Amino acid sequence: MTWKRICEAAEIPENSVKKFEVDGVALVVVNYGEGFRAIPPICPHMEEPLAESGVVARCILTCTKHLWAWDLRTLEMQGETERPLKTYEVKQENGTLLANIEGELTYDFDDAAGDSDDDDFFK
Amino acid sequence: MAAKNHGQWLAEPGLKPNEWVDSRIYSDPGIFEEELEKIFKKAWIPICHESELAKPYDFRTTTIAREPIIVCRGPDNEVRAFLNVCPHRGMIIERRPSGSFLEGQPSGNPKRMTCMFHAWQYDLRGNCVYISREKEGYQERLRKEDVGLRRLRCEVKFGGFVWVTLDDNPQVSLEDWAGPAFTCLRKTLEAEPLEVFHYHKAIVNANYKLWHDTNCEFYHDFMHYHNRVTGFNDAYFARKNEAFEHGHIVVGTFEVKYENYEGFQSRAALSFPYLPPNQWYMIDMFPGMNFNLRGSALRCDVVTPLAPDRVMIEFRGLGLKRDTAEERQTRVNHHNSIWGPFGRNLHEDLLGVQGQGTTMLPGSEPRRILHGRHENQTIHDENGMRHYYQEWGRWMNRQPNNPDLPYAEPMSVAAE
Repeated sequence: MTWKRICEAAEIPENSVKKFEVDGVALVVVNYGEGFRAIPPICPHMEEPLAESGVVARCILTCTKHLWAWDLRTLEMQGETERPLKTYEVKQENGTLLANIEGELTYDFDDAAGDSDDDDFFK
Repeated sequence: MAAKNHGQWLAEPGLKPNEWVDSRIYSDPGIFEEELEKIFKKAWIPICHESELAKPYDFRTTTIAREPIIVCRGPDNEVRAFLNVCPHRGMIIERRPSGSFLEGQPSGNPKRMTCMFHAWQYDLRGNCVYISREKEGYQERLRKEDVGLRRLRCEVKFGGFVWVTLDDNPQVSLEDWAGPAFTCLRKTLEAEPLEVFHYHKAIVNANYKLWHDTNCEFYHDFMHYHNRVTGFNDAYFARKNEAFEHGHIVVGTFEVKYENYEGFQSRAALSFPYLPPNQWYMIDMFPGMNFNLRGSALRCDVVTPLAPDRVMIEFRGLGLKRDTAEERQTRVNHHNSIWGPFGRNLHEDLLGVQGQGTTMLPGSEPRRILHGRHENQTIHDENGMRHYYQEWGRWMNRQPNNPDLPYAEPMSVAAE
């Protein structure tokens, strides 16, 4: 366990998403009213920065680019969402928010299949 | 001789048929449209230099024959070209002239090209990676795997220029089409990476071929005040216009005597690799590209015809990528003092073609434009233009001196 301080919990208003960098690891913290989640800073769909595109309402985090969404209480995927969120464990100690950061959590984004040989492609 | 009445003015000049052209090839809207179809949609065009797309996800947009084009450098460092058109409803995908896809845009995600209209998205290989509400609207009838950007043939060649053609099956490979003309400079341009240090463009009210004509002859030395008063010597006039297959010409080298030019110093210290000090080579390529290496700086002109009487000319200046800041500044000075917007020659060249354009508007009475100088194929000869217009005649199947007639090879020119 490597608990690291992120910020004071009061710095993140309810239903908001805020970006931090902790020892070189970028993440966003979401205050969804009933608790906090610490997650990688980009949407697992298309790498959209969630600090800008993420909207929180009724405990649901929605990336407003293509409407992928997760219930932050259960991490259940909503609607057309195809990939789960990765999360860092969080806890509060005397109003300070800490996250268990062993290493950076990342998503794989497939670089689609390679090109065919030009001469075949253009025939 | 005497002034001419209308009939005399319209009479054919006493020159061979390939020694003059009909001004309608510079002004006729129908011929212009045909040139876009038969020449610009078929030719290889160097739309930019790879140093303008230095990092993965960098892009640049342009047009060829009015078709919007985007070139971008993929995550694998390959430069690819696509039609800048969404296959959904024909929206232009990227509207900026240049930039990077690494950061997302308000209507797009990082690392993808996004059509802002309905958020369809493409990776940098042109694959469609996202259709918004795909299943709701298309069920299984159309999937993202079924659509994609139109990819275009694209090669990075001859010193890092990015060449694109709209023709999937060009009659001649880029290597065979341009390689022989580039022979004189190939080792020099490919010795090490080059970098664009100067870009500007001019939109001139003249036909695009008039600009290329100017680049193909030095007889207009007489328009250049500085050339008249300083630069002429026997070696200068002895340079030859050498014709290459496919309508290209190369102007041979000579040693520029910078001490003759007031305020100019030798450029030997910064001459390009493998180039003897202070040499000057020029390659004029059909249908309208020019590569001009004057010792320490390379200039490249590319024309984009906009209308019969309107052309955009893009000017680039290049040096060696490894230049120190001081070397680069010197190179920039060398380039700009002659070829920059306030240099000693460029604006005069632009005045020349703009003046021609003024007399050759669409609907102007056809005139004879003379290309008949013979001077042992040296730089005041007009063989470069005669060579160009043979090639133009072949591509267009029209006689340059009477565009109503189909092209026929002139017997006399074959010997040139």
